This record gives sequence, C-alpha cells and structure tokens, in this order.
Amino acid sequence: MQTNFTDAQLRDPDTSVANQILRTCVHCGFCTATCPTFVLLGDELDSPRGRIYLIKDMLETGRPATEEVVRHIDRCLSCLSCMTTCPSGVHYMHLVDHARTYIEATYTRPLHDRALRAVIAAVLPRPGLLRLALRGAKLARPFARALPRKGVLANRLRALLKLAPASVPPASPIEIPASHPAVGTRRGRVALLAGCAQQVLDPAINEATIRLLTRMGVEVVVADGAGCCGALAHHMGRHDPAMASAAANIAAWSREIDGAGLDAIIVNTSGCGTTVKDYGFMFRGAEPGLRAQAEKIAALTLDISEYLGRIGYAPTRPAPGLTVAYHAACSLQHGQKVVNEPKTLLRKAGFVVKEPADGHLCCGSAGTYNLMQPEIATRLRARKLDTIRATGADLIAAGNIGCMTQLAGDAMPVVHSIELLDWMAGGPAPEGITPKSA
Amino acid sequence: MSIIAPTDAAGVVAAIRAAHDAATPLAICGNASKSGLLRPVQAANTLSTSGIAGITLYSPQELILAAGPGTRVADLAQAVAAKGQHLISEPPDLSAFYGNATPGTLGGMVATNLSGPRRVMWGATRDHVMGVVAVNGSGEQIHSGGRVLKNVTGLDLCKLLTGSHGTLAVMTEITLKVLPVPERRGTLVLKGLDPARAVAALSCALGSPYAVSGAAHLPAAMATQVPALAWIGDSVTLARIEDFAPAVAYRTERLRAELAEFGAVELLDDAASVAAWAAIRDVTPMVSDPGAVWRVSVRPSAGPAVIAALSQAFDARWFMDWGGGLLWIAGPATAATHQAVIAAAGQGAWTLMRAPESLRAAVPVIPPEAPALARIARKVKAAFDPRSILNPGRMVAGL
Amino acid sequence: MIAQPEPKQAVMARRDAIIAGLRKLVPETGVIGDPLRLKPYETDGLSAYRQVPLAVVLPETTEQVAAVMAFCHREGVRVVPRGAGTSLSGGALPMADSVVVGLMRMNRILDIDYADRCAVVQAGVTNIGITQAVQAEGFFYAPDPSSQLACMIGGNVNMNSGGAHCLRYGVTANNLLGLRMVTVDGEILDIGGAHLDAAGYDWLGLMTGSEGMLAVVTEVTVRILRSPEGARAMLAAFKANEIAGACVDAIIGSGIIPVALEFMDRPAIHACEAFAHAGYPLDAEAMLIIEVEGSIAEQDYMLDRIRDICNRFDPVSIKVSQSAEESLAIWKGRKGAFGAVGRISPDYLCMDGTIPTSRLAEVLGRIGEMSAACGLQVANIFHAGDGNLHPLIMFDANDPSSFHKAERFGADILKLCVEVGGCLTGEHGVGVEKRDLMGVQFSEIELEQQRRVKSAFDPQWLLNPSKVFPLKPELPRAA
Repeated sequence: MQTNFTDAQLRDPDTSVANQILRTCVHCGFCTATCPTFVLLGDELDSPRGRIYLIKDMLETGRPATEEVVRHIDRCLSCLSCMTTCPSGVHYMHLVDHARTYIEATYTRPLHDRALRAVIAAVLPRPGLLRLALRGAKLARPFARALPRKGVLANRLRALLKLAPASVPPASPIEIPASHPAVGTRRGRVALLAGCAQQVLDPAINEATIRLLTRMGVEVVVADGAGCCGALAHHMGRHDPAMASAAANIAAWSREIDGAGLDAIIVNTSGCGTTVKDYGFMFRGAEPGLRAQAEKIAALTLDISEYLGRIGYAPTRPAPGLTVAYHAACSLQHGQKVVNEPKTLLRKAGFVVKEPADGHLCCGSAGTYNLMQPEIATRLRARKLDTIRATGADLIAAGNIGCMTQLAGDAMPVVHSIELLDWMAGGPAPEGITPKSA
Repeated sequence: MSIIAPTDAAGVVAAIRAAHDAATPLAICGNASKSGLLRPVQAANTLSTSGIAGITLYSPQELILAAGPGTRVADLAQAVAAKGQHLISEPPDLSAFYGNATPGTLGGMVATNLSGPRRVMWGATRDHVMGVVAVNGSGEQIHSGGRVLKNVTGLDLCKLLTGSHGTLAVMTEITLKVLPVPERRGTLVLKGLDPARAVAALSCALGSPYAVSGAAHLPAAMATQVPALAWIGDSVTLARIEDFAPAVAYRTERLRAELAEFGAVELLDDAASVAAWAAIRDVTPMVSDPGAVWRVSVRPSAGPAVIAALSQAFDARWFMDWGGGLLWIAGPATAATHQAVIAAAGQGAWTLMRAPESLRAAVPVIPPEAPALARIARKVKAAFDPRSILNPGRMVAGL
Repeated sequence: MIAQPEPKQAVMARRDAIIAGLRKLVPETGVIGDPLRLKPYETDGLSAYRQVPLAVVLPETTEQVAAVMAFCHREGVRVVPRGAGTSLSGGALPMADSVVVGLMRMNRILDIDYADRCAVVQAGVTNIGITQAVQAEGFFYAPDPSSQLACMIGGNVNMNSGGAHCLRYGVTANNLLGLRMVTVDGEILDIGGAHLDAAGYDWLGLMTGSEGMLAVVTEVTVRILRSPEGARAMLAAFKANEIAGACVDAIIGSGIIPVALEFMDRPAIHACEAFAHAGYPLDAEAMLIIEVEGSIAEQDYMLDRIRDICNRFDPVSIKVSQSAEESLAIWKGRKGAFGAVGRISPDYLCMDGTIPTSRLAEVLGRIGEMSAACGLQVANIFHAGDGNLHPLIMFDANDPSSFHKAERFGADILKLCVEVGGCLTGEHGVGVEKRDLMGVQFSEIELEQQRRVKSAFDPQWLLNPSKVFPLKPELPRAA
C-alpha cells in the first residue's frame, strides 16, 4: 500500500518501522473476516484494515490522536487473529502497539478513563495490591446494583466487580523467588515467569506447573527480581513502565543464564508469553548489550505446552473419561502460533478434546479489555460460551488466566491445561473436577 | 404475410431496419417448431433465422462451440458427439410435443431457455450460453460475452437475451459451452412410491455425494407412455448417474444402499437410461395427451402438494422432473384449469406450454411481474426495441 | 488518480442536511459523516484508487436499505454499494458526492433447507460463511473466489465471482436461485426464489455481474450442493509454458474435466512456495494443480489417467498429494498467491483477462516481452480450465512512475487478451479499473445498449455511476 511519509518522518526509527509494516499491507481485506469486532460491529473502522488505515492517516499527518481514532483503536482486542489470516505478513501487533504509544503521548483521555487506567496499571501488576483490591471488590459487590444503569463509567465498574472472584485465595508460598529442585535426575533447568495478576487470581496454575516440571526432572527457578512482563502497560500504550518491567525481567533472567544456566524461560500465561517473546523487538533500540540479552531471552521463551511437547509428557493415571473443550487463547494461537501442542498434550493425558466453532474468535478477555470495553467483551463472551456449550464438553481448558477469568461463572468449570496435565501425571485433581466413572 | 429468411447477419439487420423504419412488427422464429408455446404473435411479417445455419467455431479442447441460430439442435448434438462431447443442459426436442415435423434450432433452444433433466445438476441452457451476436430492434448489431468460458465484462446480455423469446433482439450467432459426454449412464428405479415419498427419495439422491444428474418421478399412467419404463407397470422414481464406467458402477451401488429405505431399487442399464431420460426430456408422456400442458417450477419439497391440489381441482395428468421441482401438468384447456394451476403453483413459477391459440391469447401465459419490476421490464424492452417490433406480445400482452 | 464524474455541487452543499437525514433512517452507529472516519472507506481491494465519500451508511435490514435508497433518490444523491471491500477492480470506489451503503451488518443466515438444497442469506454473509454454515451436514456453496474468507455474497453476486473450482461447478450466476433487492427509488423486489428457471426475463442473470449499477442486493438465495466424498490434488511440473498448455488441452480433450485445473508460471511458483511450503517444484517453468473428486478409488482412477496424459509431455515431476494436509498446503499456496506476491513486492496489480486456452503459450510469451520492455516483474496464475488469466504485475506504489508503468502494462495485457479472442475480465468485474478499456471489447453502439439497460433500472444514474462504462461528458438520457 502506498504511504506518504516525509524523509524527516522516516528518520524516526519507530515511524520507519510503521512505514515498513504499512507497505507490506496490500489492503486485500482478508483480515476483516476473522476480526471479532468487525464480525460484531460490521464497520470497516472496527476491522484491522480500517484501523491500519486510521493509524496510517494519523502517523502520516503527524496529528495528535483524535477521540474518533482512539475509540476505534481502543476497541481492538489485540487478539492478533488478523495476523494469522494475513497472507502478506503484516505485523499488525507492532503497528497497533506503536499507535497506542502514540495515542498515549498525544491524546488526553477523559478524566474517568485516565483514572481507571491509572488504577488498573497500578494495581493489576502488583500482587499485593491486587489481592487487597479484590478483597475490597468482594465487599463492594452488593453495591453494584446501586450503580447507574447507563454510562461508560458505571458499565466499567460493574465489569470490574463482576470479574472479581467470589473468594480470593491466599498468597501461595511457591511464588517466592526460589529454586524448586528437580525430583530425581535433573534433565533441565528453567525459569518460570511467576507473573503478577495470575498468581493472585489462581495460584494453582503456578503450583501445578512447578509440581509437574519438577516431577519430570526439571529444576524450576522463580528468579529474584522478575515480575510483571510489562504486557499490561504495553497494551495501554504506557511505554516507559512497560519497558521498565521488561528490563527487570531481562536482568533477572540474564543473571540466571549467566549463573546456573537456563534451558528455557517458561510462561504459562500466554498473554505474557507473547510479550516476552517480543522483548527482542521491544529493545531493538537499546544499547547492544541489553539488546542482545533481550533477544536471547525472547529466543529462550516457551509456552509451557511447547516445552512439555519438547521434553515429552506421559500420564501416569488412567484416562478420566472427561471431554475437554479446548479454548485457544488468542495470544497463544495468534500471538505465538502455538496451535496444536496444548491439544496434543491433553489428548495424550487421556482427555477427549473438542474445539468450539469459530475458535479463532476472541472470548473478549484480551488483557484488560473486558474492563475497558465491557459491552463488546460481554457479547464475545456469550458467543464463545455458546460455541463451547455446543461441543458438549464437561469442562473448559485454556492456557491463559485472562480467558479463564472471562469464561468463569458459567455452568462449566474452567481450568488451566497445565492443571489437567499435572493431575493426570500424578498431581492433585483441579478444584471441582472429578473423573467420570468409565 | 411474408416470411423473411436471411442467410446472414446483414440480412437480419436489413430486415429489422426496414421493420423499425416502418414500425411494422415482426414475428421472430427459427423453424417455428415451438410456435405453440406462449402467446400468439400478431405480426404482418415473420423473420426467420433458419437460414443462418452452420457451425462457425468448434474447439473441443476449449469446450467451445459457436453456430448460427438456424443450426438444428440435432445437427449440433451430432457434431459434438463426434468429438465425444454433448450439449450440457440436455435441451428438449419438442417437435413431437407440438405436433410439428420441423426440428428445433439453436436459436429456439436459447430463446426459450428450455433445459432437460440434467439441469438439476449441471445448469440450464442459459448457464452455458457464453456469447451471442444479435440485432436489436433498431437494427443495431450488438454482441455480449465471447468465446471464452468466463466473462464478466459489462452487463450480461447473454443471460437477458436467453429466454427472452425474441422480444429484445434477434440472435445471429450463439456460442455455447459444451462438455465431454460421460462414458456411462446408470439409472436407479424405485417402484410404487407416492409423490411425497418419491420427492423424499429424490431429495435423498440429489443430496448424496454421488452427483445425481437426473431425478424424476412418473406415475404409472405416465410411465406406460415411455417404452423404456412401461414394463415396470407401476409409478417409477428415477435417479441417474453419469460418469466414467467405474464411477457409475460404484455410485449406483452406494446410492442403491442409501435409497433402500424407499423400497427395492432396480437398475436401468446404459441403453435403457438413454431412452428413458430422452422421453422425460422431450415430454413424451404428454405428446398424445389431448389437453393443455403447463410447466410449473417450484421448491422441490412443494411439488407433492401442488400435485395434490391440482388432482383435486381437475383430472390432472402429471409427472415430475428436477427432483420434484419441475412439474409437467396436463389438463382441460380452460381458463378455470389455468387459474387452478396458478393458484396451486403459489410461490413458484408457471408457463402455459401448450394450449389452443384462443386460450393462450386470453390468459397470461407466464406469471406477471410485480408492478415495479413490470415497469422496469417495459423500459428494458424499450432499451432494445424502442418501436416494439420484435415478437410483440409473445410473452406478455402489450410487451 | 482515476477520473470521476463531476461531483454534484447541490449535493455537496447539502452535505450536513443529507447526513442528518440519513441519521433518521438507521441506528445511531450506522451513519459515518466525519471526514476522519470516512477515510478508511475511500478505497477497497484496489487501493491505488481512492476517494473519500460524502457519507457511509451501514443499514441492518432490507427495510433500512430501502429507506436509505428512497431518501437518496429524493435528494438526488449517488449511491455506491459496498460489501467487504475486497474488489480488485475498484468496484466499491466512492465518489466525493456519494453515499456508500455498506451491507456488512447484514451478515445473518436466514434459512437453510437441505431437502431443497438451498440457503437464504443476507448480502453481508461471507462466501465461506455459507459453506461453514452447511458443512456439518455435508454440504457446501460451490463458487470459491480466492478471497472467499472475507468477500461477501452480495459482492459475489454483483461481480459474478468465480474461483478455482468453477470449471466444474460454475460461477456465482450458475449457483443462484433468487435475490431480494432494493431499487434505486427504494422499492423492495424479490426475483427468483427456491425454484429453478422461471419464465420471463432472466433478471437473476442480468443482476449477477451488474456491479451495483442496477439495484442493491440485500438477500441471496443460493444453491447448496452435497460435498463429494473426497478430493485430491496433483502437481505436474513442466519444462515450458507451451508444454503445460498442451497438457491442459490433452486432459480436457481426453474427456476428463477435473474439478480444478490451475496453472502457475515460474515466478508464481517461487512466490507461492516461499509462503506455503507446499513442495512446489522450483525447477520447473510451469506447474499445473489438478484436482479430482470422488471416492478414493474414483480419485485413483482419474489421477492415473491424468498422470498417463502428463507423462506424454515430458514432465519435470509429478506429485500426487498423499494426505489432506498436503492437499491443503497445495491450495494454501494457490489461494494465498496474491498475498504471497505481496511479500516479494510492495504492491501488485492483479489482472483478470480471459483468453482461449489454446493461445496461452503465445500470450505468456508476449506478456514476458512486455515485462522486459517496461522493467516490471510479473507472475502469472491461470485458471487453465476456463482460460482465466491472472497476471500479477509487481510495482512500488510509492514511486508514481512505477505505478503508471504498471497501469499501462496492465492495460496492454488486457488489450492482448481481447485481441486473441478473450475478454477484459473473467471474474473480478470491470469496476473503475477497466472502465476505460471497455471500448476495446465493445463498440460504442454496444456500450450504448448496455447503458440503456442501466437506465431502465436507474434513469438518473444514481447507482454506482462511475463504474463499468467509460465516463461521458454528459450521462446518457433515460431510455
């Protein structure tokens, strides 16, 4: 596609990258069809191609972002379904990330929007604060009815309260920076991204991961100094905090690499995995030493399912007679192109695996999207649950805490795939799951 | 009354210009083998394209055949058969049906857009008209389409002229897509089904993966009119498969199993298949029927209800093609019967195919268009034939 | 930039009033009027041509479309219908004084009838959406344009779209039963239905391929077909374009009609292999993808016969797909061909001429000479069974001289197609792209005839008037 940047504009490395991405796009429109917001809203402006065009215009003119552009970019889930579809290889993720940073720099959001974003950015990545906030939300729940029926703010607050779990589990000891030794002969050493929000919302995921890996002979390190991957701030266009989080992780893991060494960096929240795997690009402008470290970290990073596929997983319990609806998280299937591994592992573990129709469509979680865009998120959730129910499965398995929170609360239990894999390999049954008698 | 029969396009241009200038209507025909179809045309002169005959292009490996409109369909069929090909839509030969000795022409086949049993799978005559050269009512020569199999350049006047019964322009050359003749045919026969069961069986056959290219049902009285079927002595429900010999053998067996729930399934061999389907194509069972004949096109599953309604209304003779979607109906040639057919057809379409001239002149012979579409139809007619000299009133009175 | 009809100043001047009027007819989010948000609607799949419209309307029902059409008719406003905006000929290019009527919100499947083998869908349902809706029952909708994932059935009807499998199953026109449409003055009309071949003028045939100039299609009744038991593809590679072309003739001459018969030349093979990793033969000058259908035994029988024929033409290699995955990869390369070329060149123009198959080698030879003369690369993809040629001309849109060269090169290719007995467009439509070449294929008398047919539907030329026909100083009078 033709672009109109001046030479001066192109001297800015970020604009130059955006230009290269825009030039790759041939405006064929294939991406529109698999974009959840286009399917729901039927407006070019809410499709990847339309957003690319809005971004192109915004960057070319160099104008500050306007309310209209922000509205349509904000509606993007960053599910990256478009990238799976695109035959020309347009890197939409890098383009929309850049646009979000540009928006953050040039657009002043309404006060309530700024306030909510600030709260989310401050609380979600900090486990202690989040735990506190969720307990507060639980208490605040009965007051949801008192909120006005309409209005962006009221809807978002309602969404916030709705997502807060009924009970907040206590902090798990397992997440304290430490090394968890392999059981038996050590066959590998990995770092686990213990994450931020996930360990508060569902510590069982990390516990299952560590249990399974150590039992399989892998030493698991929760590195000192590593924390939030930065994705949350990154998707909100908050460039500096995102880079700071990422840099802290790079430093922490690099210390491990230089020390006892790492075979892989394991991520069990695919939203984070997509970002960690992109550290190389994020630090493309950094000084050479840091850039090399970032690239190395990115290359070492694997989703837990990729790693298990690589080292070989085998169940020890008999098949439980359960049918699992595998919900493909967008960050996993589109962001990281990890499509088959989780299903293969679940089948290997003895589950019957079903996939819902339109599996490429997002469930509406999309990081903090369900908090920022509750109407669209709710419609996507309903749609997803309909297709999942149609599979006739007993439970839902996913590889991303965001999706799990979004899909919870329906009749069907939702667990992380790793909990099922750990269970079948000798771990405890996930809460609320029992095998069906054969 | 004079008959003008030019031997080339220039002659057609001259005849139409003269008629245009004098504002004298022309009856347009080929061999007039289907003059008993639709409304009679009141015109001082007749323009026949029967003299513009002969194949102008035949490229078997490109599946393309072009010929003058006066070329007999039978001659075309023979020419392509010599290269192992056939006319895809299985166009009927209605000379016996209309009691004419004259054989039909390519021009007539295209102007009427009549298609045989294979239509249900392979498309209608209009689907295989790739190009036309024609002269409009102002005597201007126009062409649409071409000699290639795919063409979306400009408005598709080929489709508009096909089935327009000579009311828009007079064709002087027609290009058709042709296809290889299947190596073998096989027909499965179910006996003794009522119309509803028959349509259910045909729906099952057409909805199978075995590429059924003919799906008809004849009650016993009709089947006895067809020598290839008369021996069965009952109503017959037929499903045809045409393909390479091994494929026909395999598919007829598979389909036979799928149709087992409808009763015992017999198989007609290649020769009997050819004869049976030719009879269905040419409406042979109704050739000697004394009554008027209608052709009703409906949603296939609606076919049995139409038959039931008509059998109540009058002594209806009938058979079904196209899986129940095409009903051939014979009955008394009266306006009342005609009304009954229209009422029974409901959402479907109907054509008065054969009736005494008095009835054809007195009633609408095809369904009237909705008012907005009728307005457009008049403007389209005027866009081709501003003085309304080409086959006026052939399809609709006053058009 | 492409020439457009002079905007109506009276309409431009009433812009705000027109937008306000439209807001009364459709839900709030269905009218776009501010310039910034109109920008993404300025173009479609042919992004070289652009024009921001006056407004965009996104109706949700046929009745809303009718209200919008009646309003625009009263106000003398031009209307450009739009589906997914994937046209490669600029079929949805707006005019400055036009309202774009987008059918994307009408994306519901209304009825599926397996017994009668038809489905009723709204115009904004994607082509593949129809097949996806019926495939669980073993059925499919046959026409399969390469953009089938995104393109919408309303657009398919208006462009009479084809695809790789139309050699066997026909184009859109051959797979339709009925339409619901809105006339330029806002009347809702139904043509056809669930039945075949009504007597009377073939409105369905005329509407198909009418490029949004006659009426706005809002609902479509399509034929659905039962899927064959299976299908398998074969790759046959040859040492020269001529040899591959002769092999195509021999296959069809033998009485075999494969369901698909696709030809790629050397540059196309290389571009697609880099994208799809389907095992395309990189050492060949030309390659055929030949697909057959049926049971395994039937496939084997046909493939054996086809292999025997191919072997007579000194093939470089012959490879029969051994699995569903392999067949999928073979088609992924072919269907993603345009995008794949997008990977090796910043921009491309996709031509869509048809030629008599017998002239293929000669035409490719001359395209090669033109390519050398103008210095632009071209990859050729060809629906060989039906003579539909897709030369992809590679250029750089940021270099205006490169674009103009590509435009001229494309025009020369299409003139060549007509010269050898073919036509300007096989399945993409004329749009704006080939509008000014219509005189190559049609005489002025013939163009006038077509214009009069348009006038019969749209006397004031309000519906997509900048498409298909060369612009004239004054629009033709009503018939």
